[in-house]
Order: sequence, then structure tokens, then C-alpha cells
Amino acid sequence: MPAMNATVETLCRRYRERTGYKVLFLCLSTALLAVAIIAGLSTGASGLSPAETMRALFRETGRTHSIIWMLRLPRVLMAALVGFGLGIAGTVFQAILRNPLASPFTLGVGSAAGFGAVTVILFLGGGFQIYRVAGSAFAAAMVSGFLILAVARMKRASAETMILTGIAQMFLFSSLTSLFQYMGTMEQVHEVVFWFFGSLSKAGWHEIGMATVLILAPLPLLLRRGWDFNLLAGGDESAMALGVDVERLRMWGVIAGSLMTAGSICFTGVIGFVGLVAPHITRMVIGSDHRFLLPAAGLVGAVVVVAADTLGRTLWTPRVIPIGIMTSFIGVPFFFYLLLRRTREYW
Amino acid sequence: MLQVLNLAFNYNGSPILKGVDIDVRKGRMVTLAGPNGAGKTTLLKCIAGILEPAGGAVLIESQDAGDMHRKELARRLGYVPQSETLRFPMTVFETVLTGRSPHMAWRPSRKDLEYSARIIEEMNLGDLAMRDMDSLSGGQAQKVLLAKALAQEPDYLLLDEPTSSLDLHHQLEVLELVSGLVETKEMGALVAMHDLNLAARFSHTILLIRQGEIFCQGTPREVITPENIHAVYRVEAVVRHGNGHPYVQPLRCVADNENA
Amino acid sequence: MAGHFSPNLPCGIDVWGAVIKKALHVSWLTATLVFVLVLNGTAAFSASITVQDSLGREVGVSLPVNRIVALNSDTLEVLRTLKAEDLVVGVFSGINRESGFWGDLVRKPKVGSWQDPDMEAIAALKPDLVIAYSRNPGPLLEQKMALFGIQVLRLDLYKTETLGREVMVLGKLLKREKEARLFCNWHRQHIEMIRRKIDGVLTRPAVYIESYTDYHAAGPGSGGHEMCALAGGRNIAAGLFIPYPHVTPEWVVSENPEVIIKAASCGNGYTLKDATPFNRRRDAILNRPAWRHITAVSTGNVHVMDSAIWTGPRAIIGIAYMARWIHPHLFTDLDPGALHRQYLENFQGVSYKGVYVSDFSRRCLP
Repeated sequence: MPAMNATVETLCRRYRERTGYKVLFLCLSTALLAVAIIAGLSTGASGLSPAETMRALFRETGRTHSIIWMLRLPRVLMAALVGFGLGIAGTVFQAILRNPLASPFTLGVGSAAGFGAVTVILFLGGGFQIYRVAGSAFAAAMVSGFLILAVARMKRASAETMILTGIAQMFLFSSLTSLFQYMGTMEQVHEVVFWFFGSLSKAGWHEIGMATVLILAPLPLLLRRGWDFNLLAGGDESAMALGVDVERLRMWGVIAGSLMTAGSICFTGVIGFVGLVAPHITRMVIGSDHRFLLPAAGLVGAVVVVAADTLGRTLWTPRVIPIGIMTSFIGVPFFFYLLLRRTREYW
Repeated sequence: MLQVLNLAFNYNGSPILKGVDIDVRKGRMVTLAGPNGAGKTTLLKCIAGILEPAGGAVLIESQDAGDMHRKELARRLGYVPQSETLRFPMTVFETVLTGRSPHMAWRPSRKDLEYSARIIEEMNLGDLAMRDMDSLSGGQAQKVLLAKALAQEPDYLLLDEPTSSLDLHHQLEVLELVSGLVETKEMGALVAMHDLNLAARFSHTILLIRQGEIFCQGTPREVITPENIHAVYRVEAVVRHGNGHPYVQPLRCVADNENA
Repeated sequence: MAGHFSPNLPCGIDVWGAVIKKALHVSWLTATLVFVLVLNGTAAFSASITVQDSLGREVGVSLPVNRIVALNSDTLEVLRTLKAEDLVVGVFSGINRESGFWGDLVRKPKVGSWQDPDMEAIAALKPDLVIAYSRNPGPLLEQKMALFGIQVLRLDLYKTETLGREVMVLGKLLKREKEARLFCNWHRQHIEMIRRKIDGVLTRPAVYIESYTDYHAAGPGSGGHEMCALAGGRNIAAGLFIPYPHVTPEWVVSENPEVIIKAASCGNGYTLKDATPFNRRRDAILNRPAWRHITAVSTGNVHVMDSAIWTGPRAIIGIAYMARWIHPHLFTDLDPGALHRQYLENFQGVSYKGVYVSDFSRRCLP
């Protein structure tokens, strides 16, 4: 009996150790994010040195103060926020769709948002009406999310049903967007193309406030359900047999994921690849326990977007390489590196 | 006692199960035997609450399982599927730990960790505890799934073809385990198998299922006869007795229009 | 015949027949020769002019040109200046967006967009000449049109430096030299006037030119850059190589331009009643975070201009506005509105209407 207890103790201890590593990773990611934010704050086209930047942070008025507080800080914070939202949304969609290739845009949310933006750019005033564009993009994205739910209610909220509905939606909204582009002037088309590349230049404090609410609101619900997401990994039936209401969990997942995705991209345009790659990178390091995976993937996503934006602003300064392009440039090589290093068969 | 009363299930309008009655007592192992497609898996899923029956009821200690909350049902029934495809990596310990979900609020407690560890120990999975599920062999994975079901502290186990993809050694190991649990922990077990010999060796009761209906039920000795085998499996066989239970020696298949 | 063995002639055929055969050969050759000469002669009488297109190529165009397909609005505008609009048999599909400006021309048959024309529709109209931009649509246009024997001429007609020469080319082709010269003289007169005044200037104020998309500057190679240079401004994006670089708001703040000019496409300026769409965009720029530190914003020197006078045959008017905004003291007697009226009434044959620029902001009054 004492021998068995010792082994039980050992097993528990080893499990707790692993959990400890996951918590450590969370702390490290947070620290890394802080470093990335500071690096982002210290770079810019106006040629301020890091020392000047730090001084300007605390000075009361003046042009440099404005540059830091009204331009750089909102930009970097928005980048972190968007990366956070997309990283978590990607994790949620991968869990509820049981598909390692899922991203926040698999269910058509991105295409719908793009359609909303195009409508305003072409017919309702133009791209300079930031709030109209964002509002329309957000509304369209949520409509697409609810469409998924409606179909899921009618048929069955299985992962396959959702993915198929999502793909159909994606094609529908993409074709409508292309049709509108076809009808537009050259200038309008140019505007639409760049919306799909993503841009952080329009991020101000008001926009950050709204995005924060949209992205952080679903977070408590998701963290509470973290353990249930783990059960989905074994299959719907296995999860049901363990007491999880799988259909309900999936629906809440779609709502939360769509809300976070829509909230992220309605002000910035489509920023791809982060939502796909951040969960994978995180999973390769700390495994699939969603209680830790969800926040960690968010942090990793935030770091990726902040770093991508900083690089995009410095590589070819003062020109900006669009954030959507930069996230692919950063994400892909790192992803390949991890892919070649991994020993597991699957994700 | 786990009771299934007059259970019926339809798929796309066609009946898959008709009028199924089963009793499973604690401390007893009941086997569902029958050819592929007879409806064994469907029946187990209906009982586990994964599929919704078209008619009839499932009672656990006289309580209607249909009225129970899913978590409550998961505390009484441990369902072990034939196999599980894991899309994302999990260790053995984590997998067994998920079995504690019906008892958890929203995170595993110290007690949950200890319970899982104890079950892993009892099933001799200690060395594998921190390894990933996909690095295990078929037999080892099956044992882990069984451990997960046991972590639920169920009164009844529902096992779907636990031995179909295992070699001889692991087949016996798993069934001996289940049999031991049934005896020592006073659990009831409902096992779906198509191997009659194993069924005969380990079960207290066998139900032969043919095309969604119970063809006959009883002790192994009563049920396993050449006539029954011919009727249900369409196989001509010889049944011998030895070591206290019957065993089947199949001779040849029977064409559809041949009579016994 | 004895002693004279001729292997080709079968015995029994008389030599006289052979001579007749030869005579027939010769007369047949002569007739063909005469026919060819006559043909060449007549060809020499139907004219064909060699002109230089916008790509610098010497192109032969056969005359007369009586049926023209105009694939873009710049071409159609120049044709109207040359009083050659009745020669137009096909127009670009986007003409419906500017129906107020074009009048009856809107009713002409449509042939697709300026970069993706409908080849069949063009062929069905049997034009003598199709006029298109130099790069868009691609060489496929010439290939397809050659199948129908239709000529294609590449003229940009939107670059200020080359506009004069290209209008003269068209004038020569369409036998409208008088009208062409009239316009070119008017155009050159005003360009020269602005250039002379700019030449004497010591400092060029820094200007931020923004293209239609927010935060996309007009860099070298773009029309806006060219206009700014001609108007005497120093484009802060002049060193950024690409035509439409995407820049950060911070960079504009640090460059601190004195004038900000933005291009806008608000439908068609001709049908606008007031400057509201331009003013809205102007105000959006004035309110951009941290931009109040920019001289242009604090003095209210922010202007928005319609695409109608931003590059194209009317770029001279856009340049005139820019010159006034960038060097207000230099061009006190330059009236871009009057210039525009002259252009629309004398060359386009339509009345002067519409709004094309934003109002002066309250912060800065002339």
C-alpha cells in the first residue's frame, strides 16, 4: 500500500510539474509581449531614439509626446489586441471544428467582413469613413456567424456541417465582393485590395476601446469552458459520454470566436495566418490543455502581430509593408522550423 | 440494475433496433453478440445517451436515463468506444484525467489527480503515464480508454468491441481486467463482441442480436448452439464444451437460400 | 525535224502550237504584272500616316479615320475638344457614371471597360481606329483587333508633359489640326505661365500628396507627383521610388508638410451641388490624431481635389489649383475656376458646372 501511494504521488507530482511549465510559458509569453511592445514603441519613421521615446512617454505636451501617445502607442496596442483576439479565436475554431487546419476565417467570417467593408467603400461613403466601414464589416461578420448557427440548429451542430456551411459562405461573400469590385472605379478597387492586406494606421484610442470590449468580452466564458474543449479532442461521442453538451459548446464557440474575429478585423482589415499559426506554435510547446492553450495562443498571436508590424514599418522605412503580408512572412518560416523539429506524428 | 425496455431506433426512416429488452445487474457481465451491422454499436450508443432512441426507455436503478442530466448519466455509465481518433496530442495521464470530468466543477482537483493516478497504477499503465497517446500500441490505447471510463467511477460499463483490434494476449488481458472489475467492484458490464468464444468464456449472460432484434438470450451454454449460430451468423459450426464453457468451431458459411 | 531531236516535244506536235503556248505564258505574266502595278498605284493614292504613339513606337495608321472607338474618358474628352465626337461609334462602359458631363455621348454603344474591353462588341461596330492607354489593356488588344483588320493606337492623354504632342497626333489623324492647335496653344500658354513663375522661386514648400486611399502617398511615377512638381511644390514622398507607397501617419507628422492635398473620387464633380463630399474628407484629415502638429493642419492648408481635374486632359486646372494653394502670393491673379470655365465652354462645349475642390477650411482663409 505505501509503495502504491508513493507511485501515485510521483504521478501527481509529475503532472503538476508539467502544468507548472505551462504556467511558466504563460509568464514568459507575457514578458516577451512586453518586450515586443517596447520595441514597437521605440521604432518609427520620425527617427526618435529609444531614450527620446521613453522621455516623450512621460512628457506632458509637444510633438514627440503626441507622436508616441497618439500614433505609436495606439498602433502597437492595437496590434497586440488584434493578435491576441485572432490567436484565441483560431484556437477555439480548431477545437470546435476538430480540425488543425481551421482558422478564424474558415467559417467565412473574414470574407463576410470584407464584403461589409466593400459595401461601404463603394456605395456608402468611402473608405475614409472609418466607423462606417468597421461597423459594416462587423455586422456582416456577425451575420455570417449567425448563419452558421442557424444551419447548425436545423441540421445538427456537427463540425462537418459547420465547415461546409462556412466554405459555402466564404465563396458567396467572396464572389459578391468580387462583383462589387468589378463595378467599382480603379480607386475603389485599390482601397478594397488594401483592406484585405490589413492596416494598423487607422487605430486610435476610440477604436482600441471598442476592440478591447469585443475581444475581451467572450474571454471569461472561453476560459471557463477550457476543460470542455479538451474533451472535444477525443470526438463528439466521447465528449458526450463524459457529460459535455457538445452542440451547445460548439455554438457558444462559434459566437465567441466570431465576436473576437470580427472585433479584431473590423478596424484593421483582414490579417491572415496569425489565427492559424499561433495555436499551432503554442500547442507544439505546451500541448493541448485548453485552459492554458487559449490564453497562451492569444499571447503568442499578440507577439507575432506586434513583431510583424514593427518589422513592416522598419524594413523599408518610411514605407509600410502591409501587416497581412508581414504576418505571413514571419509566421511561415517559424512554423516550418517547428514542423521540422517536432517528433509527434500529428499536431 | 441497468434496464433497457423496448428500445427502438430508426435511421433515415429505416428501423435499426426493434423492441430490445436487456437487464444488466451489478456484478454481472452481459455480452451483446451478433454479426456486423446487427446493431450492437447503435444499441450501446442509445444506452449511453449519444443517440436518441425512437422509442422505449433506459432505466438506471429505476430512474429514466432520458430525464437525467448528461453529467449525471456520465457518473453512472462509463462508455468505452471501439477506438478514438485524437486530433490533438494528449498524454495518457491527461486522457485518464478527462474521465474525471463528470465529477469536476471546471478544473481538476487534487482528488481528481489522485484518483486518476491510482487507476493508472492499478492498470499497470504507470510507465506510460506521461507519454503521448499516439505513441501507444493498440492494446495499450485500449487499456487507457478503459482507464478513462473507470475514472468516471461508473456503476456500469458499456464496452464496444474492446478486443476487435487486439492480439490474443491483449484480448485476454482486457477481458480479464473487465471481468475482475465486475467481480471486485460490483460493476455491471455490457460488452459488445462478435467473438463468440471470448463471449462464452467471460460472460454471465449472452444476448444474440440479429438485424436489430434480440434473437435469444441466456447463459453461454444455453445460447451457443449450432442452430442459433446458423440462424444468426449464417455459419455451420460445431459447438464443443470444455473447461466449463462452450467453444465454437466454425465449419463453413451457409448461402442465403440454404436451410439448416 | 530531221537532225533536230527535241525530247520534250512528242513527235507529231507542230512547233506552231508550242509558240502559242509560250505567248500565252508571257501575256499571262504581263497581265499579272500590270494588275499588281495598278494595285500598288491605287494603294499609293489611299493615304497612310506614320505617327508616334505613347510608347514611342512609330505606327502607321491608314486614313481616312471615320469611325473611332474611345476606350477611356481621357480619349473621349480630347476627341470632344477636337470637335470629333460624331466620329465616335463606341465608348467605354463606365461612361454611365458621368452621364451629366457627357450628354448624348452616353447613348453610344458600350464596348466594355478601359482595361478589359469586349472585343466582339468593338468588332461589331466596324471602327477604323481604337484608341487605348499605352499599357492597359495589354498587347492582346492588337492581336484580337488585327483579326478583324481594326487598327489600334496607344495614346495616354493624361500626362501633362506629353499631352500637347499627343493631341497634335490625333489632330493630324482626324484632319482637325486647327482645333488641335487651338487647344495646345491654350494648354501650353498656361503651363508656361506657371512654369515661369515657379522658376523664380527659391524655396519649394513641402507638400504631402495623398492618393485616393488613406495613407497612400503619391510617389514618383504617379500623376499627383508630377502635378505637384509642376505646381512648384516639394513632394515629401519624392524619394520613395514607388508610385503609391503606404506610409505611417507618424512619418507625415515628422516631415511636417506645409500643404496637404488629397485626391478624391466622388462620382463626378460635374454633377455636385456643393463641396460637402470634399469638405468631409478634408475634415477627416484635419482630425487625424496627432496631425494638429503638422503646419498644413494648423494653418488649415488642407485641400481635396476631384479626380476629374487630377491627371487627364484637365490636369492643367488641377495644377492651377495646386499652384494657388502652394504659392498663394505668387498666383494671386490665377483663377482656376475661370480656366475651367474656358475649357468646358470653349473646348468641351458644355456649360461650366459642378464642384471640384474642397472649400477653404475655417482656419485658413485666403
